[in-house]
Amino acid sequence: MATNRSGAAQRPNGAPQTKVCQFKLVLLGESAVGKSSLVLRFVKGQFHEYQESTIGAAFLTQTVCLDDTTVKFEIWDTAGQERYHSLAPMYYRGAQAAIVVYDITNQDTFGRAKNWVKELQRQASPSIVIALAGNKSDLAAKRMVEFEEAQAYADENGLLFMETSAKTAMNVNDIFLAIANKLPKSEGGGSAGAGGARRLGDAEQARSSSCCK
Amino acid sequence: MYQDNEDDCKFAACTYFAKNHPGEMCGSNGLPLTPSSITILGRAQRLLTIEHPNLCTYLDVIRGKHERIIVVAEVIGKSLKECTSKFSFQEIVNIAKQVAISMKFLHDQDIIHRTLSDDNILIDNEGRVKLFNYGLYYMTGGGSEVSFPLGLPRYLSPETILNGGGPAADVWSYGIILLELSIGKLWNNLKPGPILRRILTLVHANNPAERIAREHDCFEQYKQVPENLRNIIEKCLKIYPSERATFSELVEDLTQMDSKELVEVKTPRGLMGCKLQYLYHLWQLAGGDIQAELKKNYLIKNSPPILSMPIAILLDGCTIGGKTGALFDRRLAKYSLDLLKSRLSHVPPQDFYPLMHERRKEYDAVALPKIIRERDTEYQFYRLLWFHRLLHGYPYTAPYIRAEAEIDIPPLVRGDVWAALLGVVGDIEDQYERIDKETPTPTDRQIDVDIPRCHQYCWLLCGSAGHKTLKRLLKAWLLTNPQYVYWQGLDSLTAPFLYLNFCNEARAFACLSAFVPKFLHKFFLKDNSAVIKEYLAKFWQMTAFHEPELATHLHEINFVPELFAIPWFLTMFSHVFPLHKIVHLWDALLVEGPALPLFMGVGILRQLRDTLLSSGFNECILLFSDLPEIDIGECVKESIEMCRSSPRSVSYRRFTNEAEVKDPMDIVEIPMEVLFNEISPRINLSDFFSLICQDKCCVIDIRSNLLYEKSCIDGSINVPYSGVHLGQHELRALGLHPQRVIQEAIKQKKMVVVASAEDETAQLFSDYLVKCCVPRVCILHGGISALLTHVPSLFTVPPKRNGHK
Ligand SMILES: Nc1nc2c(ncn2[C@@H]2O[C@H](COP(=O)(O)OP(=O)(O)OP(=O)(O)O)[C@@H](O)[C@H]2O)c(=O)[nH]1
Ligand SMILES: [Mg+2]
Repeated sequence: MATNRSGAAQRPNGAPQTKVCQFKLVLLGESAVGKSSLVLRFVKGQFHEYQESTIGAAFLTQTVCLDDTTVKFEIWDTAGQERYHSLAPMYYRGAQAAIVVYDITNQDTFGRAKNWVKELQRQASPSIVIALAGNKSDLAAKRMVEFEEAQAYADENGLLFMETSAKTAMNVNDIFLAIANKLPKSEGGGSAGAGGARRLGDAEQARSSSCCK
Repeated sequence: MYQDNEDDCKFAACTYFAKNHPGEMCGSNGLPLTPSSITILGRAQRLLTIEHPNLCTYLDVIRGKHERIIVVAEVIGKSLKECTSKFSFQEIVNIAKQVAISMKFLHDQDIIHRTLSDDNILIDNEGRVKLFNYGLYYMTGGGSEVSFPLGLPRYLSPETILNGGGPAADVWSYGIILLELSIGKLWNNLKPGPILRRILTLVHANNPAERIAREHDCFEQYKQVPENLRNIIEKCLKIYPSERATFSELVEDLTQMDSKELVEVKTPRGLMGCKLQYLYHLWQLAGGDIQAELKKNYLIKNSPPILSMPIAILLDGCTIGGKTGALFDRRLAKYSLDLLKSRLSHVPPQDFYPLMHERRKEYDAVALPKIIRERDTEYQFYRLLWFHRLLHGYPYTAPYIRAEAEIDIPPLVRGDVWAALLGVVGDIEDQYERIDKETPTPTDRQIDVDIPRCHQYCWLLCGSAGHKTLKRLLKAWLLTNPQYVYWQGLDSLTAPFLYLNFCNEARAFACLSAFVPKFLHKFFLKDNSAVIKEYLAKFWQMTAFHEPELATHLHEINFVPELFAIPWFLTMFSHVFPLHKIVHLWDALLVEGPALPLFMGVGILRQLRDTLLSSGFNECILLFSDLPEIDIGECVKESIEMCRSSPRSVSYRRFTNEAEVKDPMDIVEIPMEVLFNEISPRINLSDFFSLICQDKCCVIDIRSNLLYEKSCIDGSINVPYSGVHLGQHELRALGLHPQRVIQEAIKQKKMVVVASAEDETAQLFSDYLVKCCVPRVCILHGGISALLTHVPSLFTVPPKRNGHK
């Protein structure tokens, strides 16, 4: 389906025993930190300077291949404006992974990211894998959030952490790969919300669990 | 240049290059810098709105390749430079007066000319004078967006040469021009450098005018100039800008000298009497192409690209060499209107003056899609003339405008027509002026990050002029609507109004202010969840109503509108489609009213129907995250049809700006929780009654046979709910007679109204019908009992039918 132009990983040719796991991933963070841009870079390998703001949420999928598993991400890119906050649970409920994004040139967005982490720790599935992304690392000259500060925060809270740039593509695929690696890929699949991966083919199950009712 | 009849040349073009930003430089936000040409275009928009009898109206400013700017404007007669015969002093005073009037007008608007010269003052045979391209300095931000110097050296004032100068510099240039008209061309064979040096040496002169005359051996001739004219010249040619006369003073002086009224040039009748903007627009529709003509006239040269490659590129992106041709071309290319004339030659003279109350002309073109009609010269000609008249009579002509807008709206007057449709009247400038649009607020950060992402493919909105205006509009709207807050998306909603009223900010604001209460009442409340939920629920009901099969599929895969339709309605699709599509959607919206958007939503689903029906949850949601091409013309047509064929009460919403419904016959409101559970909408008694009277509905009474046989709605059929197998989604399961009746109703596009004694069974049965793919199913609000109370006349005792189903 979704072609992988980002070169993160190639589908191994004819490896019949490859497991296919499907994970729901949600992006959270203050408006204009670059959530949509990160997804666009990861899924289509593109960067749009004038990326439109997200209202409600957008959905995209992308597949990455690990050694013995194919991981399919179902990505929910949410709206960043605080007012849309009430919609967020609809998207992070049942998510196995989250990327909380802030903009390294804006201290406030880092504060907002911390709030998101707290909320996820309280409300989301307990086994959720959370990654923190300090985006716009290409604008290092205007940096307001120190790398060490964010790293320390991530360590304290057991988060994956990377500074990324949707513009230059730096660390974009890497952060998704790191998440894929950290996600439990148990054979049985497990139901959504329990944190386990679902096996594809169990189509009906997959569909209904994606719904956000 | 063209040798045709001069009168036919109504407009001309000239061209220059905007400055190149060296390399691919980015601003501090990491985004690329706005190209100079975009900034120029944004600034030039204001010039397009200026109309004055002594100014050549600007018609268009175009961005060509490689930062080329092409300016199209009205022309008349020829330039002073081209006039070879000498003017009499009488004539000079006449020219002086008209130029002074136009310059006063410009200065009153805070526009500095800076490039006033003998080649941009045009004069026709009647002695009428107009300035051409007086906005070069203005549109280029005082020359900062171009890399060539502005103005001809011999007209530059001393302070301009020394890198300064305000409006008074124009007075100097004006003085030089009058002096030249009186004693002949100055510094004729000198190169720019020496000319500038000559002008600077005047700094020591007591009377620069006399000094110049002496330098040119024309002192005697100068003394022949009537004293009052000499006075004028000398008042202008003062070294110190503050000592020079202003144009208002000059106009006064000149009016006293020349009491003769200006020749009243009669506007010609027929085509040439049409508004110039219309002529230009129609000329383009008829195939006129500014760029192609410029090439023909060698103002744009086609040289092989290799010749224009830079010789060297420095590491910082600067280039050396390679640029061919001048950055600024002083020549004009004049355009003949012959093409247009012959295209419209068969239009009878009376058609130029349509009478308002005359029966409308029928055009064949109405059958064609709107985008084609918009490109049809003749059709647009008629439409423009007609709308021109109607708009002239606004607000009295409002109903006519609405009726015409229903057919289509000529793109050229869309901004005016929208304002009329929205009922914008009164002193909107003054109201807008009073609003504080500058004081910072906490919302600014969100607005600031949204604006550079809002319809940025549009060159009007992506420049700094566009950004600033959009921000002011948003701030003004928020300030005047304290009950509302800024939701992301409000920027997109404002964009179409800005786009159509780029130089009429007050009107853009008035349109937005009128639009929201009509179409998005309460959407921008801090807590808008109930409003949005109701809207989406109604949208989903309308989908079931018109597209039952699709609705059933989407329900089955748990695909809910909350996941994709919020931006559709919150922004009335302005966040979803590009501007050229939004304008067509909104054309219809403004005419049809606030129920239409629900059906537009259904119209979009309908276009994607086949894909959606064969897709699961993920594919469906992917489809909406990256919406495929939608045929807006088709979507509009279908949605209007759906909207008009749906009884009003079916799309009832409580959160609207309309008067509260009191009559029990008109009520359809139900508690929100009930609404969220009902797949089919309810119809009120009034609508039901009308449908019955028009024989437009099929009534299914689902009470028990016993009750039905006592008394029932005339013409209804009885399908007792207790006997229905809800699991079997086939009409056949209802029995032969009901199946036939319903199929016939579907064929005749009738409403299928479920009438029951209890809400719950009505709900379940209507769901069942939807699952059987029956369109136009609705529930009779209040059921049989309410109808019996209010319209007992509809009831009858059914004839006994022998034999059971
Ligand atoms: N320089 C730079 N700019 C970026 C980067 N990522 C995003 N941007 C820009 O930042 C702006 C906002 O990016 P979006 O991806 O729209 O931000 P968002 O987080 O999705 O914002 P919302 O949809 O409003 O929540 C856009 O103009 C992007 O071009 C980056 O890595 N470097
Ligand atoms: Mg976004």
